[in-house]
Amino acid sequence: VIHLAALLLYLGAFVLWVSLLLKGARGRMGRAAAVVTGLAVLVHGAALLDFWRTHAELPLVGPGAALSTLGFVGGLALLVVLPMKEAARVALALLPFVMILQGVALGLGIEPSPFALDFQGTGFVLHVSFAFLGYQGLALAFAAGTLYLIQHHELKEKRFGRFFVFIPPLATLERIGRFGLWVGFVSLPLALGLGWAWTVQNRGSLEFADPKVLWAIMSWFVFLGVFLARRGRGSTEYRSALAAVVGFAVIICTYLALRVTASGSGLFL
Amino acid sequence: VTMPLAVVGVSHATAPVEIRERLAFGPAEAERALVALRKECGVNEAVLLSTCNRTEVYLFPARGQRSIDAVERMLAPKAGAIEGHLRDYLFHEWGDSAVHHLFQVSSGLDSMVTGEAEIQGQVREAYRRAAELPVAPPMAGPVLNRLFQMALSVGGRVRSETSIGEGSASVASVAVELARKIFGSLKGKRVLILGAGTTGELIVSALAREGVEGVVVANRTYDRAVDLARRHRGLAVPFDRIREAIPTVDIVLCSTAAPHPVLTRSIVRESFSEPRRHPLLIIDIAVPRDVDPAVGDEPEVFLYNVDDLRKIVDEHVRVREGALPDAQHIIRTHSEEFQAWYASLEVVPVIREMRRQAVAVREAELERLFRGMTHLDPRDRERVEEFAQRLQNKLLHDPTAQLRKGMASGGGAELVEAVRFLYGIRDAAADATPEQAPHVDLEEEENGE
Repeated sequence: VIHLAALLLYLGAFVLWVSLLLKGARGRMGRAAAVVTGLAVLVHGAALLDFWRTHAELPLVGPGAALSTLGFVGGLALLVVLPMKEAARVALALLPFVMILQGVALGLGIEPSPFALDFQGTGFVLHVSFAFLGYQGLALAFAAGTLYLIQHHELKEKRFGRFFVFIPPLATLERIGRFGLWVGFVSLPLALGLGWAWTVQNRGSLEFADPKVLWAIMSWFVFLGVFLARRGRGSTEYRSALAAVVGFAVIICTYLALRVTASGSGLFL
Repeated sequence: VTMPLAVVGVSHATAPVEIRERLAFGPAEAERALVALRKECGVNEAVLLSTCNRTEVYLFPARGQRSIDAVERMLAPKAGAIEGHLRDYLFHEWGDSAVHHLFQVSSGLDSMVTGEAEIQGQVREAYRRAAELPVAPPMAGPVLNRLFQMALSVGGRVRSETSIGEGSASVASVAVELARKIFGSLKGKRVLILGAGTTGELIVSALAREGVEGVVVANRTYDRAVDLARRHRGLAVPFDRIREAIPTVDIVLCSTAAPHPVLTRSIVRESFSEPRRHPLLIIDIAVPRDVDPAVGDEPEVFLYNVDDLRKIVDEHVRVREGALPDAQHIIRTHSEEFQAWYASLEVVPVIREMRRQAVAVREAELERLFRGMTHLDPRDRERVEEFAQRLQNKLLHDPTAQLRKGMASGGGAELVEAVRFLYGIRDAAADATPEQAPHVDLEEEENGE
C-alpha cells in the first residue's frame, strides 16, 4: 500500500509539472509540484524501510524489490535537484522513468526473494547500491540532456512558447548532466569491481556470459562514449546532451533485449 | 456615501514627456509641496506620487474645484512656460474613481508598459514619505493611510495571482531573458558591443544589472567606443579587431549604422581559434541588420534580430493583456471593500453620540441613587458605578456592532437614520461628516468608556 501511495504521489507530481509546463511556468504550481515530488520520494523511502523492517532483508534481490529500489535512487536524484529552483523542472523528464520502475515493480510484486539468502553481505549491498547509483546518474544525465536538446531546439528555431519558458537554462542543464555522468562514471566501475569480487568470493569464478555482467560492461562503455563526446572540438555541450540521451536509450534497449532473450535472466533485476 | 477623495495630476496618458519631466518632484521637493498644499487648500491628508510617467496628488478631503486649482498652482512654477495651459494636461478623478485609479496604478495597469513592477515600490515610497513627514496631523492620516495600504496589497495580489507581470516587455529585458536562458546566471559573462547606439547601451545596462562584467566596445569612431567603454568600465577596441575580441566574449550586441552586414559567417568562424565549446549569443538590433543570417546556422551560435526580440515582447504583452480581466476583478473587489470601510466611518459620530447620551443618563441616575443612599461606603459606591458602566456597555454593544455591520454591507443609511430617530440625535456632532472628523479611531470608540 505504501509503495502504491508513492507511485500515486509520483503521478500527482508529474501531473503538476505538466500543468506548470502548460501554463508557461506561471503561477505557484512549481512549488506545489516540488513539494509533492519530495513527498513522493519520502513515502517511497518509507515503503522500502517498511519492507526491510518487515522481511528483515534489504529490497535489493528479486525483480520487484530491486526495481523499486532503483526507482527510489532516481527519486534521490530528484531530491538533489528539487532545491535548485528552475533546475527542479528536470523532474518532468526524470519522473516518468521513476514511475515506470515503480509501476513495473508493483506489477511484479514487491516481495521478499527466495534467493535472498544467497545474496548477502556488505560487498553485495555496496555492489548493488553503486550499480543503482551509476544507472540513475545516467538517468539524470538523460533527463537533463533531453531538456537541453529541446531548449536548444527552441532557442535555435526562435520558438518562445511554453517549453522555452519552462525549461531551465542550457548552462544549468549542462551542469546537471555533467553531475549525473560523473556520479555514474565513478559508481559503475566500483559496482563492477565489487560485483566481481563478491562473485569470485562466493561462487568461485565470474561468469562473463551472465547477462547482467554483459549489460554492466556495455553500460560502462556507454558512459565512456558519453564522456568522450564531451571532449574534442566543436559543440561539446550539445554533443554531450545528445550522447547522454542516446546512451541511456541504448542501455534500456539492451536491458530489455537481454531480459527477453538471454537465458538465466530470472535473477536479472 | 460620497467620498471627498480626489487625485489630480498628469500621467503619460495626459501629458507628453516634455511636460512630465518638468513636473517631476524630488523627495525633498515633494515634502515641501505637500506642506504648502495643506496650508493653501486646507486638506487634512495628501500624498504626492512622482515617477517618470506620472505626477499625482491624492487629497482628502478634496473640496471640488478649489482642490484642482490648488494643485495646479502647486505645479505651475515647475511647469514654467509651456504650450497651452497646464490645466489641459491635468486629469482628476473623484471618490470611487480615485480609489480605482490608485489601485490600477499600484497594480501596474495604468503604466506605460502594462504590468511593470517598479511602480509598486514608487507608490510605497510616496506613501512612506507622506506618512513620515513630521507634521501634525499626519499627512497620510486614517483615510489615505488605509487607502495606500490597501493599494499596496492590491498591487501585490494582482502581481502574484495573475500573469500581469509575466515575461519581459521591453527589448532590453528580453535580451537579458534570452541570455539567462542560455547562460543561466550572467555573473562574470562578457559582452562585445558593435556600435555605440542608445538602444545598444540600454541593453548593456540591463545586462550589467544582471552581473555581466566584461564590456568590450568596438565602434567605427574609436572615440565614441572609448566613451561608452568608460561609462561601463569596459575596454574599447578598434573596429577591425573584432575577430580577436569575439572568442573572449559570451554575448555580442550589434547596433551599428552600417548599410551591410559587418559580421559574416566566415568572420565568426575565423574568429574562433578552434570551434566553440560554449554557446555564443548574438543580438542584432541594427536595421539594416549587422549580422549575416547564415551566422545563426553555426551550431553553438544563437542569433536574434530586432524582429525576434519584438516577437517575444509582443507575446509577453499578449499574455499580460490576457490577465487584465482577473486583475480588474481584484481591483474592483478591493475598491468596494474600501468604499464599505469608508461608509462605516459615517456611523462613528452617531455611535459617539449614542455613547455620550448613555454616559449622561448613567451619571445622572448614579448621582440620584447615591443622594438617597448616603450610608454606602466608598467601596460599595465603586461597585455600583462599575455595575452601571458594565450594564451601559453591554446594552450598547449589540446595536453598535449591528450598525457597523449594516454600514459595511452597504445598507447603513437607513439604519443611521433610524438610530438618529430613536435616540433623538440631531445635534451638530452627529451630523458631522467623516471629513470633519477624519481622525476617529473606530476601535477606540468601541473600547471607550
